[in-house]
Amino acid sequence: MTPDETSLAQLAIMAQRGDKEAYAALLHECQRWMKSYLGRRIARHDLDDLVQETLFALHQKLATYDSTRAFVPWLAAIARYRWAGHLRQVYRARKHSGGTDVISHNDESAMMARISLNSLFAQLPAPQAQAIELVKIEGLSIAEAACASGQSEALVKINIHRGLKKLSAMIERA
Amino acid sequence: MDRKSARFASTTADELINRLVNDLEPVKPLRLAVGLCLVFGALLASATGVGLMLGLRPDIPAGRLAPHLVLESGLFLLLGLSAAANVVRMSRPHVGSDYGGSNWAMAMTALLPVSALVMGLGRGAIGLSPMDMRSGINCLGSGVLWGSLTLTALIMWLRRGAPVRPHYAALLSGVAAGSLGMFAYSLHCPSNDVVHIGLWHSGAVALSALIARLVVPPLIRW
Repeated sequence: MTPDETSLAQLAIMAQRGDKEAYAALLHECQRWMKSYLGRRIARHDLDDLVQETLFALHQKLATYDSTRAFVPWLAAIARYRWAGHLRQVYRARKHSGGTDVISHNDESAMMARISLNSLFAQLPAPQAQAIELVKIEGLSIAEAACASGQSEALVKINIHRGLKKLSAMIERA
Repeated sequence: MDRKSARFASTTADELINRLVNDLEPVKPLRLAVGLCLVFGALLASATGVGLMLGLRPDIPAGRLAPHLVLESGLFLLLGLSAAANVVRMSRPHVGSDYGGSNWAMAMTALLPVSALVMGLGRGAIGLSPMDMRSGINCLGSGVLWGSLTLTALIMWLRRGAPVRPHYAALLSGVAAGSLGMFAYSLHCPSNDVVHIGLWHSGAVALSALIARLVVPPLIRW
């Protein structure tokens, strides 16, 4: 059974106090959550690396979790930050997996929808989202992406550059 | 344990989790009040430094504050505090956070250079004599310099935190530093000239923002 937002927040507070058992439970839940959250927006072979990087970022920045606020939006901001950084770095990737974007929790579905990566992607102009999707996630070359999208190669490059810049600026946007 | 050793030493997420759990130490949650205290401390140090090292402009000890001083220093103080408060908040990431408040304060403070332009054109020329230039450049540099205390405090704070928009955090840090530095220096600068204030004092904020935007991101990226 997946813990709810309140349980995750409680585990995080206990982890901040040094409770290793709670921290292990928290990290395992976060790992599951991130695999689901990032799975659809990253090439499968990069997913484990990105999840590990995000777990490590969580570990480094545990003190920045504010116990008076929800836990998942904090985790999502860190995951988005690492994801956007990863997209900037990766030029070649294989086909993405078909995982779900968010864990489905009835009572939290509204919040999860607001923080999903799909909602972030949807805020990009279509040509920019398509260029990033084809090159950074599906791993096509610039020339192949240009053929697939009907954009010129120069435009694909410009759209990737502008799209990634916009994504970085929207990391905390709900 | 650093990021590279953590990644390269582990082959699975479960192994990494075990290492992280073993590595866990109790942490003090980042309190915004501490960040704000740092900013106020830097502001106090700047204002005290200006007062002790350069001296206050004559109308302050006399208790007859010029309206220009109240307006200008009030705008810079509000902009500086608003931007600094946002920077302090940016140390704790959260999807759904909004930092748009400083934009309004920036728009209000932008009235200073606009007024300078209107007044300058009304006089027939902006009127930059060599003496004006020297005095202006002195104010420009002093505002940036006295703001560097605030900038240092904000960089230290952001390095403890987890800013997920490092470029914007850097820009806002520069705006905060320039504004609070200029607020401190305006306690000394004797000029009441709108053109001087609008051009050089506002210029210090813009210059500080530009410097921070270029220099700070690598220092706070994580």
